[in-house]
Amino acid sequence: MTATETVAAERASAPAPVRPRRRRKFLGAPWILLAPFLALFVLTVLAPVILAVAQSFTRINRAGMFGEKGVTSSFAGFDNFTQALTNSNFIQAIGRVLLFGVVQVPVMTVFATVLALLLESASARWPAFFRAAYFLPYGIPGVIATILWSFLYVPGLSPLVDAGKLVGLDIDFLGPNTVLWSIANIVTWTYTGYNMLIVIAQLKSIPSDIYEAARMDGASPLRIATSIQLPLIRPALVLSLVFSIIGTLQLFVEPQVLHTVSPAIVSEYTPNLSAYTNAFAYNDYGIASAEAVIIAVAAFVLSFGFLAWTNRKGRS
Amino acid sequence: MTTRSTGWTVAVTGLLTVVALYFLVPVYWVVIAATKSSGDLFTTPGFWFGRTMELWNNVVQVFTASDHIYLRWLLNSVIYAGGGALVATYLAAAGGYALAKYDFRGRNLVFGIVLGGVLVPSTATALPLFLLFSKLGLTNTYWGVLLPAMVSPFGLYLCRIYAAATVEDSLLESGRLDGAGELRIFHSLVLRGMAPALVTVFLFQLVGIWNNFLLPLIMLADDKLYPITLGLNAWRSEVDRSPEFYPLTVGGLLVSVVPLAIAMIFLQRYWRGGLTDGAVKG
Amino acid sequence: MTIGRRRLLGLGLGALGAAALAGCAPPGANQVNTAPVIPAAAPGEKITLTYWAWLKDLQKVCDIWNARNPNVQVEAVFSLGGANGGYQKMYSALAAGGGPDLAQVELRTVPEFMLVDGLVDLSRYGAKQYASRYDEAAWGQVSFNGGVFAIPQDTGPMGWYYQPAVLEKVGGKPPTTWDEWAQLAQELHAKDPDVYLESFSVADSSPFISYAAQAGAKWFTPTDNGWLVNLTDDASLMVARFFDKAVDNKWVQTAYDAYSPGWTAAAGNGQIAALTGASWGDALVETIGTGSGKWKVAPMPKWSSGFGSTALGGSSAAVLANSKHPKEAMDFAVWMTTSREGVDAMIKYCGIGWSPARDYIGAQRQQPSDFFSGQNYNTEVFVPAAKQQPTDWKWWPITQRTINALSDQFRRKLTAGQSFVDSLHITQKTTVDTLRQIGLTVQEAK
Repeated sequence: MTATETVAAERASAPAPVRPRRRRKFLGAPWILLAPFLALFVLTVLAPVILAVAQSFTRINRAGMFGEKGVTSSFAGFDNFTQALTNSNFIQAIGRVLLFGVVQVPVMTVFATVLALLLESASARWPAFFRAAYFLPYGIPGVIATILWSFLYVPGLSPLVDAGKLVGLDIDFLGPNTVLWSIANIVTWTYTGYNMLIVIAQLKSIPSDIYEAARMDGASPLRIATSIQLPLIRPALVLSLVFSIIGTLQLFVEPQVLHTVSPAIVSEYTPNLSAYTNAFAYNDYGIASAEAVIIAVAAFVLSFGFLAWTNRKGRS
Repeated sequence: MTTRSTGWTVAVTGLLTVVALYFLVPVYWVVIAATKSSGDLFTTPGFWFGRTMELWNNVVQVFTASDHIYLRWLLNSVIYAGGGALVATYLAAAGGYALAKYDFRGRNLVFGIVLGGVLVPSTATALPLFLLFSKLGLTNTYWGVLLPAMVSPFGLYLCRIYAAATVEDSLLESGRLDGAGELRIFHSLVLRGMAPALVTVFLFQLVGIWNNFLLPLIMLADDKLYPITLGLNAWRSEVDRSPEFYPLTVGGLLVSVVPLAIAMIFLQRYWRGGLTDGAVKG
Repeated sequence: MTIGRRRLLGLGLGALGAAALAGCAPPGANQVNTAPVIPAAAPGEKITLTYWAWLKDLQKVCDIWNARNPNVQVEAVFSLGGANGGYQKMYSALAAGGGPDLAQVELRTVPEFMLVDGLVDLSRYGAKQYASRYDEAAWGQVSFNGGVFAIPQDTGPMGWYYQPAVLEKVGGKPPTTWDEWAQLAQELHAKDPDVYLESFSVADSSPFISYAAQAGAKWFTPTDNGWLVNLTDDASLMVARFFDKAVDNKWVQTAYDAYSPGWTAAAGNGQIAALTGASWGDALVETIGTGSGKWKVAPMPKWSSGFGSTALGGSSAAVLANSKHPKEAMDFAVWMTTSREGVDAMIKYCGIGWSPARDYIGAQRQQPSDFFSGQNYNTEVFVPAAKQQPTDWKWWPITQRTINALSDQFRRKLTAGQSFVDSLHITQKTTVDTLRQIGLTVQEAK
């Protein structure tokens, strides 16, 4: 790196001006501080990523009926990717999480925002209690939440199904057309409170004199919400949307736990479940790695794409 | 604040109550279900108590089944989540501080790569991580779950931003004038000042590890090493073959959910505080 | 100095990369069965074997053995049920170079473990001398390529559980053929639309496979030129057409699978009349709270071709590749599955399915059952059924994958109206494709 480049990079990234003499003096210190983090980062993030990419280009060849006459591995080119992308189960799984994301993420975000606005409006009684009640499910791990809800879904055990029967409704939470939304319900149940809290945090940071001014002008609560609060909480919403998108692509726990009670959940119900099944039930690491790489790239593209889109919209 | 119609207040509060029911009903159900015998679970209405009160029996069973394994699972979860989050927070603080307050070659490269790490879905690395760890003999050990838990790229990102914004250069200079070494300065002067960000990172990581299912599922074979999530799932998957696991699973759910629910109510405040710092400064 | 550090970092990365690539060594590359035979432990040497299984209280069975064999102690470790995560654990342990000496592996999964070279060929340790102690059908399912890759531990010959009082509504008797079965199902449902003769699973194709095997289907045949694959032989297509008709006409309940909570409730209030089930289904039928005295067992219905019964489920005790003591592990497994005390203990403590021991079904199973209306159903129905199982059925290296693929297709029966016949044709193709993709030699039947 030449001197000018260094300076330019410094200007571009350094949050505070840095005195150049420090560089020479404390050369070792930052590396010592960073070393343990980096060592673990390389071991548990970087190396696995490299390995996943390597595996996704590897093919296994077997001789005999079980490979008893020899097993070798060789470079596969893009074969594993082609196979993954022509596997109709995997494609359906991608379609499924996309559908899920398109519906569940906006519903949850709107739900969380409305709750936050209501709780922060002067009209709500006992806001602290409600806030706590809504946030409570976030503390319950996805597996446990899913087991819990699965009992509320399973016919024979579920009081909800029983209640439905009383009013003549035959509710099937686990059927082929409903189970995706039953999963969506679990995710919404778990994360709405968390997203609500993010929005509330943002709302609280709005200076109170803005509200005062609006009220003096005679603005209604609805008006305040749409023209003052919503624009100001946008950054928080964008952040939680990005997390939700990544979360949706990684959907795993809920279908994995529910598949024992729902015949509709196939072995490759979500992309992640597909990778898991290929790796650990079928021992086909090449395909599984290719799928993992595809999921990671999709998460990158979607979240960057979304950020870029909101940035452009924000600017214009 | 305003006298604007109590009707509005009643409407809003009523709406919020209905929503609260939605969030609380599953928890209510598990409390009720945990008081029932296996037979009552299927034959009495789900939202009310059964014919007999079995809560105590069920809870005792939960704690004593398979040689007190449930306690062990709880303890493991605390070790994984608590230990992992503690180390992760410390390492993220050190790294984030180094990236924020020192200028050195490769700084941007390191930050860029770590930032990329934030976006890599953890599930995508789980499989290769398993293969790597199995070569290193780390699978089916506490380390198999702990080591990945000790890294928080997101934490490092937050710490860097926070350190850049709040740690004063003059503080560091005065420490240096007193003759303190760089590590000493970090530990005695900087760390305390970063506390608000550290709480956020810690809580994030804590919940992240506590919730993580895939990694321990892949890494651990011995049920003595399971965290509570895996353990309960193991019980749950037994119910189809042996219905006597129903009370065990439901009781186990109750015992794990209640403390978490209470913790969330109390932690809520820290959460919000920490998040605001992160979100606003980010 | 900076460069030095960088290079260091680079070296570190390189080393990790190398380790990572070493991790790429394909599963099954180590070839346990061409390595030298491991000699038995020296006399007086004390060894401990571990056995991963999802049988409850297995340790109590081991303890009986342990009391007799102070030098070969067996420790049972409870594992998740196979496809529920147990196999993943075992594969993981194998890949990591460890794992137990013995593991419970379903009969249908034995070839899958062979694919990753996970099982010891026990014929190298003298297993063939024990062949005559086991049911022919069970032994056939652990024998491949002239070797013996596991010891059968329990099987599931099938029979027909039914509630006489429910059949009585239409004056029905246990059907002896599947045609009679269809007739009965039709009448029962016509009489009362809430009542079904049986559940039929569109989520799990395993019962279907058992029925096809009963009709004489042979999906996989080992030949000198690799596997001969034929999921669409006449017998299979006949069975598929039969159940297409049954489901299309709503003669069977498809909303829930047998043994699920919904099924248990329906069976309890008489909305499910019967169950074509394996011998181990008795314990699950007995969980129907109000069922005592209301159930009986008859032989399962027969097709116009094939066998008198068939099998569903069943597992083996397999010696895993990293065992240090395969000989002793095999000796224990043989004792557990064929000695009288072993079989009795397995039934008493673990509630295993049908014992594959050729001439001993277990003391308990010779008693009449109150639940099943005082019938001595084991000797009456399941002993003959065990002798009438298909003997040349072979599972294959990607059984679970095929079953999953077929189940995924079966589900389209309800969601898209796809016939079981079409499902078989589609799955035939995907199965052959997958086998080729993982590098095995395959022929398709013409």
